[in-house]
Amino acid sequence: MTPPLIEARQISKRFGALTALNAVDLTIRSGEVLALLGDNGAGKSTFIKVLSGAHPASDGEILVDGRPVHFASPQDAAEAGIATIFQELALSENLSIAENVFLGREMTRNVLGVPFLKRRAMKRQVTGLLDELDAHISDPEAPVGSLSGGQRQAVAICRALNLDARLVIMDEPTAALAVAETRKVLQLVRRLADSGRAVILISHNMHDVFEVADRIAVFRRGRKIAERERRATDPEEIVSFITGAHPDVRALEMQS
Amino acid sequence: MSSRTSLTLPILAGLWILIVAGLAILQPSAMALSTVTTVLQFSTLLALVSLGQAMVILGGGAGIDLSVGGTVSLVAIIAMLLDTAGVPSFLLPVVCLVAGTLLGLVNGILVTRLRLLPLIATLGTFYVYSGTALAITGGSAIGGAPAYLLPWGRGTLAGFPLPFVTLVLPLFVLAVLLLRYTAWGRWIYAFGFNERSARLVGIPVDRARFIAYGFSGLMAGLAALVSLAWLGSARPNIGQNLELTSLTAVMLGGVAIFGGRGGLVGVLAAVLLLVTLQTGLLQLNVNTIWQVGIIGALLILVLLVDNIRMIRRTA
Ligand SMILES: Nc1ncnc2c1ncn2[C@@H]1O[C@H](COP(=O)(O)OP(=O)(O)O)[C@@H](O)[C@H]1O
Ligand SMILES: [Mg+2]
Repeated sequence: MTPPLIEARQISKRFGALTALNAVDLTIRSGEVLALLGDNGAGKSTFIKVLSGAHPASDGEILVDGRPVHFASPQDAAEAGIATIFQELALSENLSIAENVFLGREMTRNVLGVPFLKRRAMKRQVTGLLDELDAHISDPEAPVGSLSGGQRQAVAICRALNLDARLVIMDEPTAALAVAETRKVLQLVRRLADSGRAVILISHNMHDVFEVADRIAVFRRGRKIAERERRATDPEEIVSFITGAHPDVRALEMQS
Repeated sequence: MSSRTSLTLPILAGLWILIVAGLAILQPSAMALSTVTTVLQFSTLLALVSLGQAMVILGGGAGIDLSVGGTVSLVAIIAMLLDTAGVPSFLLPVVCLVAGTLLGLVNGILVTRLRLLPLIATLGTFYVYSGTALAITGGSAIGGAPAYLLPWGRGTLAGFPLPFVTLVLPLFVLAVLLLRYTAWGRWIYAFGFNERSARLVGIPVDRARFIAYGFSGLMAGLAALVSLAWLGSARPNIGQNLELTSLTAVMLGGVAIFGGRGGLVGVLAAVLLLVTLQTGLLQLNVNTIWQVGIIGALLILVLLVDNIRMIRRTA
């Protein structure tokens, strides 16, 4: 059997005395949307920051295609095919869509060592990506500052696609969006998975999660306390895990 | 880019016409080619220093270089001291460039390595540089700049001073090309506006800022060279007020003080406007203290107009 795309083993992360993540095991497979749920401060963002190279883990290891990897920076993770769309969307509002999609890895032509931009080629590629996503953005030269929240998510997703990401991580992509835009972004998420990529989605919205996820993992106080196939669970059960009302959680927390 | 930049040039052009018209009415004799030459001659120092200042400010992170005036003075003094101490005269331009760059890189280290606030760091080096220039010379000028420099420093081409034609114009053109058409230019705008996102995509923000301070020093060194070639001597106070006037030019020119917005064409236009205003006031025998006050008032006015527009747009 081929190894899973990503495997996180016993990942812990401590900030001084605070244990933000406590021995988390999680497997991520291609073509699948994995939703991470949990209360504020449960450790979801910290977990994906470890996965994406933004924080080093205090303990544990990450395997990509079954091989241990070590990420010192988000670029390292990007090289391994992990692209992250952070909660605080990391876009430059003063630059255009195309410039944002390519920021830091522009297509250039070297003239005397100076990297001149290949504007037309970049514009063409971004137009193609936007079409592929069916994002309804006509002008890749428009400044990102003029876009709606949903369109910005689309730009961020474009960026991930442009990196040839095999895993796209999205931290609360719909938190600030209106209903129609949320639908749009969820469609994008589904399309990413259907194209064979893996997606990790963090969300507080149970409805969104059940609409789009294949698998759901619940975090609580730095631990992964439950993992369910979406088909095998329902919102009530998941809520009881999140709040700690579920008997399994009580038992677990009694021990420690 | 922003609507700010697109309006900057018309506003500056309008103000410029206003100043020239006022001068034409009050002092018709000032309307001569020689006045143009004088304005451009004075513009050269300010334009060079403002180019460096603009790059530092565009790069954000509260970037500012208050030491530029001190750098110009100190570099001029160092170059002439070495020259009189027997360093071959043909090396003087190189000395200016190297000394300026090194003084600028000191700011770069203070800001990017030692994490000092740029305002504080460069205020400190401003005092050190300008103080040293005064202390070394006891306040008096060092004469005897190499003769081969003077034809360039004082020459004109169709009324345009040679340093303006050979340094200011090419450097601004190169810098504009760099900002608009290269990846580096995009990076400056990116981290100037949103440092976090730039770091996340792997742009070497600290290295770029370090280079920007070095570049500002280099431009100050060039300005020092021009002052030597023009005046024939090193004056320990030649850079006086350049930090304030360059800052004014950069902001009048439409560069946002928080970085990431604005362009260099506006900065050059603002330099010409400021020097025209100063020259006009000089022609009208307005004393220098009033001149500084009038420029300050102009800056506040432009920033107010800008603020009102911002409020309108966000409302
Ligand atoms: N950089 C940090 N330094 C110190 N503590 C942090 C840092 N990032 C997160 N934490 C703490 O780790 C815990 C988990 O946070 P986080 O992963 O952001 O939770 P979630 O995304 O699930 O809401 C919280 O208690 C938070 O305060
Ligand atoms: Mg979070």
